[in-house]
Amino acid sequence: MKLVYADNNATTAIAPEVVTAMQPYLTADYFNPSSMYAAAQEPAAALERARASIACGLGGIDPGQLIFTGSATESNNSAIFGSVLANSQRRHLMTTAVEHPSVLEVCKELQRRGHEVTFLGVDRQGGLNLDEFVRALRRDTLLVSVMLANNETGVIYPLARLARIVKQTDPAIIVHCDATQGIGKVPVDLARELRDVDLLSFSGHKIHAPKGVGALFVRKGTRWRPYILGGHQEQGRRAGTENVAYIVGLAKACELAVAGIADEQTRVRGLRDRLQLELCQRIPELEVNGAGSPRLPNTLNLAVHGIEGEAILYELSRAGICASSGSACTSGSLSPSHVLQAMQVPFSAIHGSLRFSLSRYNDEEDIDRIIEALPDIVARLRRLSPYWDDERNCLKLSAGES
Amino acid sequence: MAWEYSDKVLQLFADAVQGKPGTHMGELAEADGVGEYGSIVCGDALRLFFRVKPHPTDPSRDQIVLARFLTFGCTSAIASSEALCALLEERQPTPLDALNLTNQDLIDYLDGLPPAKIHCSVMGAEALRAAVVDWAAHRGVDLSSVLSEPMTEKEMEGRLVCKCFSITEPYLRRKIGELKLRSIEQITAALKAGGACGSCQRAPGGLQDLLDEYWGETAAEVGHISSANGRKDEESLSPWQRGKEIERLIATVIRPQLQKDGGDIELIDIKDNLVYCRLSGVCANCPAAGQTLQLVVEQQLKERIDKRLRVIEL
Repeated sequence: MKLVYADNNATTAIAPEVVTAMQPYLTADYFNPSSMYAAAQEPAAALERARASIACGLGGIDPGQLIFTGSATESNNSAIFGSVLANSQRRHLMTTAVEHPSVLEVCKELQRRGHEVTFLGVDRQGGLNLDEFVRALRRDTLLVSVMLANNETGVIYPLARLARIVKQTDPAIIVHCDATQGIGKVPVDLARELRDVDLLSFSGHKIHAPKGVGALFVRKGTRWRPYILGGHQEQGRRAGTENVAYIVGLAKACELAVAGIADEQTRVRGLRDRLQLELCQRIPELEVNGAGSPRLPNTLNLAVHGIEGEAILYELSRAGICASSGSACTSGSLSPSHVLQAMQVPFSAIHGSLRFSLSRYNDEEDIDRIIEALPDIVARLRRLSPYWDDERNCLKLSAGES
Repeated sequence: MAWEYSDKVLQLFADAVQGKPGTHMGELAEADGVGEYGSIVCGDALRLFFRVKPHPTDPSRDQIVLARFLTFGCTSAIASSEALCALLEERQPTPLDALNLTNQDLIDYLDGLPPAKIHCSVMGAEALRAAVVDWAAHRGVDLSSVLSEPMTEKEMEGRLVCKCFSITEPYLRRKIGELKLRSIEQITAALKAGGACGSCQRAPGGLQDLLDEYWGETAAEVGHISSANGRKDEESLSPWQRGKEIERLIATVIRPQLQKDGGDIELIDIKDNLVYCRLSGVCANCPAAGQTLQLVVEQQLKERIDKRLRVIEL
């Protein structure tokens, strides 16, 4: 049975083209790009080619503004801590309640160290309230960090507009964007649409490059200081010998992602829309989280009332389908998804949240398989659920309160 | 990263280290001018010797006829030294004219240098300058009219910030002030500091720190939000009163105007001089929406309440 991989917001299959591009630097061209001898010229040149190629894909920006890192998590840590290091006079940070933990936890740590952080809430559709955003801006705001798109719901945030408002308010406030989920799914143009964004993070493994490589864009002139100290790699902005093979892979993946945006926006969106439509027709009491907001074309987050997400995943897995859930049982902690909580998804559904995230490698057959498997799984689990009224085929009234 | 050298650089380097006839490596006994630049600490150092054909009456018209070098350094440092001596012997300038020889002349002679190696040519020009100073001392020539200020000892000995170009902290501090350098890019353009390996740009105690120290973190400190503070002339209204005024003007004058055209405006917040508004209705879809706000709202607020007010559209 062919595996249906529909968990691409978690990680992606490595593209064969990426593997091919990386190969030479895993074998013959293993040299340290900082070394002097002629043999090291090729990896050093490959590094700069990769930088130039990614810069081109991000709107034709100056490649010198890109720093390679080990992950989006590292990029986010560097972006935020690096901004704080360079702006000691300011004490206030702004972010959203639905950021990735690599932003949220850094902000919470800064709170413990004496900074003030505003965590902006979202509405029931996962959207930001612009009024609250504006009111939260302060004289001593040093950084605003908002993700381009949410990993769980796929909700897209209006970064261009937010960044413009911030810069019109005070050009010295740094705008950071975690673009990890947006890259390759929506256009990212740092020269035009996102020209007011100062720092931008992303990683390779969400766009069919391997895990363990990421990048941080630092716009020229941004008051930011390096966070990873050591050697003079990356012009002293990120110490550590460059992971040449993976960086080459990242560049290749970016190239494919840019070329594939149209496919993502039409074909993949079509797959997602069909999946959403048909599941909603076949499964009662099914909600689409974030449906009222602009969303990534590949992401479908469902609230399945009355049952638990992990059980659904297990059943899906037995049917050869990979997906994920925001339920507490799958989060590794005792509480369910902070994103869905912030959206005030009712408790009867938050544990039954289910996320399908597609990629260019998914096809109609995959969608058919999910449509075939899921309604049955949900019906079976609901039959076991104390919160499901089997006779009336709806949620028991008391479930919402429990 | 490995350097990409021109054929000329590689040729001069090879010739010099093999001591081919016509090359210039070595010490020159009884030199008329000796100058040194760099140090073992920064990774390269050049000692330049030259001998002149003395002018019988006017020492300032002496001509450099012989030049030799001793260099501790990389491929391009040695090639630059060789180029410097060759150029001097070719052109046979007076030492005073030699002062006009720049690092760019050396770069041209070498058919270019990799960007990260420009400091090798700077080293050549600086060693020549030191040698001319030495010659002038021996020959009793006054250089004060041609040399601006020679580097002071303090500046030579201070903490090295940019190692590639041996640029010290006291020197940087002086130049940041004198030349009003406000960014790393400007420092690099003017002094070359930070222009090679770049590691001193944002290192602790590096260029950014010096800039911050000199200029203060002013750019970040004084945000636009706070620009209302400090000026008294238009502050006859308290912030609360002014806020009420803005609200009233929008409600009674501006909003009705916009509504007449099928639009609407909502006041979201006021921070000092920044008035945040949302346009809705027909206005929001109008391509001139931004302009409408600029023209109608900002103009009226400026005229009737405070000319410092600015409108930001959500």
